[in-house]
Amino acid sequence: MASRKSFIAFLVAPAFLILFAVVFYPFIYNIVLSFSNMNLYRIYDWSIIGIKQYTRIFTEPSQPSFYLIFWKTFVWTFVNVFFHVVIGVALALILNQNLKGRSVFRTLLILPWAIPQFIVALTWRGMFNYEYGAINLMITKYFNLPAIEWLKDPVNAFVACIITNVWLGFPFMMVIALGALQSIPHELYEAAEIDGARWHHKLRAITLPLIRPVMIPAITLGMIWTFNNLNIVWLVSNAGEPSDLTHILVSYVYKSAFNYYSFSYAAALSMIIFAILLTMSLTFMKSSRATEAAY
Amino acid sequence: MAIQQKRPRILQKTLSYFVLTLFSGIALFPIWQVVNISLRPGDKLLPTELELIPTNASLNNFIRLFTQTDFLTWIGNSLLVSLTVTITGVVLASTAGYGFSRFQFPGKRIGLLSLLTTQMFPATMLLLPMYIMLIKLGLINTYLGAIIVYSATALPFCIWTMKGFYDTIPPSLEEAARIDGCSHFAAFYRIILPLAAPALVITALFSFMTAWSEYIVAVQILQDSELWTLPLGLKSFEASMSTEWGLYGAASIIVMIPVVILFLALSRWLVSGLTLGSVKG
Amino acid sequence: MRPDEGQILQRQVKRYTDQNPGREVVVIYKETEVLRSAFVNAAITRRGPDLVHGPSDAVGIYVATKAVQPLETIFPAEYLAQFDSSGILWYRGHIYQIADKIGNHLALVYNKKYVQRAPQNDEELIETSKRIQRQYGYKSGRPNVYGLTWNYTEPFFFIPFFTGFGGWVFGDDGVTPSLQSDAMVQALKYTRSLRDEHKIVPNEADYEIADALFKDGKAAMIINGDWSWAGYAQLGIDIGVAPIPKIVKTGLWPAPMTSPKGFSLNSNVSPEKLPKVLDLLRFLLSEECELETTKALNTAPTLKSLYNNPLLVKNDILQNSLAQIRLGRSMPVVPEMRAVWDAMRPGYQAVMGGASTPEAAAKSMQQLALRRIREMNE
Repeated sequence: MASRKSFIAFLVAPAFLILFAVVFYPFIYNIVLSFSNMNLYRIYDWSIIGIKQYTRIFTEPSQPSFYLIFWKTFVWTFVNVFFHVVIGVALALILNQNLKGRSVFRTLLILPWAIPQFIVALTWRGMFNYEYGAINLMITKYFNLPAIEWLKDPVNAFVACIITNVWLGFPFMMVIALGALQSIPHELYEAAEIDGARWHHKLRAITLPLIRPVMIPAITLGMIWTFNNLNIVWLVSNAGEPSDLTHILVSYVYKSAFNYYSFSYAAALSMIIFAILLTMSLTFMKSSRATEAAY
Repeated sequence: MAIQQKRPRILQKTLSYFVLTLFSGIALFPIWQVVNISLRPGDKLLPTELELIPTNASLNNFIRLFTQTDFLTWIGNSLLVSLTVTITGVVLASTAGYGFSRFQFPGKRIGLLSLLTTQMFPATMLLLPMYIMLIKLGLINTYLGAIIVYSATALPFCIWTMKGFYDTIPPSLEEAARIDGCSHFAAFYRIILPLAAPALVITALFSFMTAWSEYIVAVQILQDSELWTLPLGLKSFEASMSTEWGLYGAASIIVMIPVVILFLALSRWLVSGLTLGSVKG
Repeated sequence: MRPDEGQILQRQVKRYTDQNPGREVVVIYKETEVLRSAFVNAAITRRGPDLVHGPSDAVGIYVATKAVQPLETIFPAEYLAQFDSSGILWYRGHIYQIADKIGNHLALVYNKKYVQRAPQNDEELIETSKRIQRQYGYKSGRPNVYGLTWNYTEPFFFIPFFTGFGGWVFGDDGVTPSLQSDAMVQALKYTRSLRDEHKIVPNEADYEIADALFKDGKAAMIINGDWSWAGYAQLGIDIGVAPIPKIVKTGLWPAPMTSPKGFSLNSNVSPEKLPKVLDLLRFLLSEECELETTKALNTAPTLKSLYNNPLLVKNDILQNSLAQIRLGRSMPVVPEMRAVWDAMRPGYQAVMGGASTPEAAAKSMQQLALRRIREMNE
């Protein structure tokens, strides 16, 4: 029995050691900061002032309003993850067949993950330009539709950010799904076919349930990362244009902290983001029983 | 009967190829734009026409990249850091994930959930305290500092993924091995691990990409330009209104190549087909 | 620091270390926004580089975070007198930066293929643009060559027009915003009219699009800053530089913001190290180095001795640049400036996007600026 316990410890301890060292201290620091008044003028001599930053966030009529940004962040997260997963899984299913040349397709489809985000996000931004962007040029030339003012209208700009982010994110889900599909034994499909099952029966009864244990962590973390992904929104909309209306929560935090040096305000906002994500993840995982084994 | 079965296959195949081609095209188009940036003279980020190859295209930027910048140094540094993170990631996640999958122990659920919580903070907020802490530990401006932080960043996802994959492998396999006299470790190493190859590939790819393309942490830790990884090097071509787009584009294309190589090398095990059907008794 | 500036600095530092064996100088490059945060972070932990080079508006932040130390006690008055007054940055009663170049200003750049003589006033600018557009024809409703293009999403590029109608960002005390003024309303209407009424600028133009259009020869003129001119020349475009034309309606010359870029001294430099750091600083501020920089980048020098240097006097672009600088106005270095930029942006973009009237925007800009400043000081 002792060997069993030490085996467990051997398995689990090293990872946790690193994690707590690297994350624990900043986490505590951030909590303390959120109850303080640290800003540009009080970098050395800040003090604890209670929950003032938090009340500021919820009660101040900010420009734009906190609740609007909050709502938009949710839309951002769910729409993105939805498309990432649907496209990723669909492509994985197709690639899992014995098709000729599938390794070529596999490689091409992974490129959006491989390319540095900065330049490709700005390239997408250029593609959304009203007069000279590739998207409008193709829409008007090949589909005979009127050009869309992507970046000048807040809703369109938001959609543009989503399109870019979906493009960037589906390869990741595709790779996960491909891996997950490998764990499904062939016999299950063969048995189902003998029973006369059509493809959608097989999909619903065999494939989807059995890739769940691997997909659930990916989807949960995908939601968390997308929620916190300020890069794309920042770059495609040029830091919130038009008029600071294309922000999501995190980009707003970033601006507060690094442009205005309101460190304590940004810390409080981060704690709120953390609380939201914690609730969201716990709810999602509870409904999918992710911490248990599949057998 | 036979003919009716054939037709769906052809339709399925055609549809499959169509979808794959469509999405490959969508994936490729912006990448091709970046290639164009690297071939265009004059640091022009945006084209003003839809053209396949830009006018006056030249490989000048690529030549300048290798001869006039420290690009090779950055590649070396990135490879060093990323490959180390990949190895640590695979080793630590494969063992930790196994522990979480197979064993019940006090604190298991909390442990798993706390892994997730580490991902929930906006990274920007952790920067200043992390910087202070790394200075105190003397890890600023070292490869080790970056490797440790990246491993910590990538591990939660990798552990969860490994655990999820192990969950799909029935414990009866290890029980059979133990009855035959194997130790815990041998059962894990020789039987279960090979079956989890696809998840190991995911872990490896993810760990690599975390270190390879990460900027925010790197810019805090790796100060000296000799230690710069690729994202830092690329950033040096940037200036808020006078970015050297030609060099940046060329570098971006080259940066993709090791990732693609790694993917090609590993994808054999990603679609291994090494499923349980072949092993079960 | 821009890549080309960085290369020149690297050359100069190498010369210094060659001349002074046994001394090692490490240069760390960071992009402007990153530099500011990184330097503040480093100063908080009482470390960081001994010297920092950057634009003047960062100085306000550095002083507030006690990251830099005063220089007037270190350098004797005769040394400082070598520099033009615009090169010595006074803030809150102390000198915190000595600049080796002035600039960062916008000017009118024209492609001599389309425009042989710079427009003398804004009516001429509009007339010339329309003539060029007619001359080169239209395709699917869009002129093949636009008369003018500029980044009209950023408030920085709006300042010349704002000042051309008599406005300024701050009131007399230098810290209270003055954005809700008649000048603001007029200027907003004017910039919008260039696109909607006179149709001489493209439909959507941010920095990269404007830059690409000019480089592709699809725009005859561009309003852009001194950092970009060398790039155009390198591409083989025969450019001319001129002050942004006078606004006929007000009789005022647009005044873009100018800022010095120079060196500041970290507060944490130890007394033993200080003499060596100062030695390096004097070298980098010497006539030899400034002349090198000016020749390579066409930036305006700060040493009075260089103003009559024959090489510079004959340089057409540099002389026009200096003319624009003289018509320009110093960018405020107070931290409140950040709040003003961020307050101007939403309203300005709303007007250009058609979502707001100039009057409403002016009001919202002022209110937002006041609120942000209050938040910053809380």
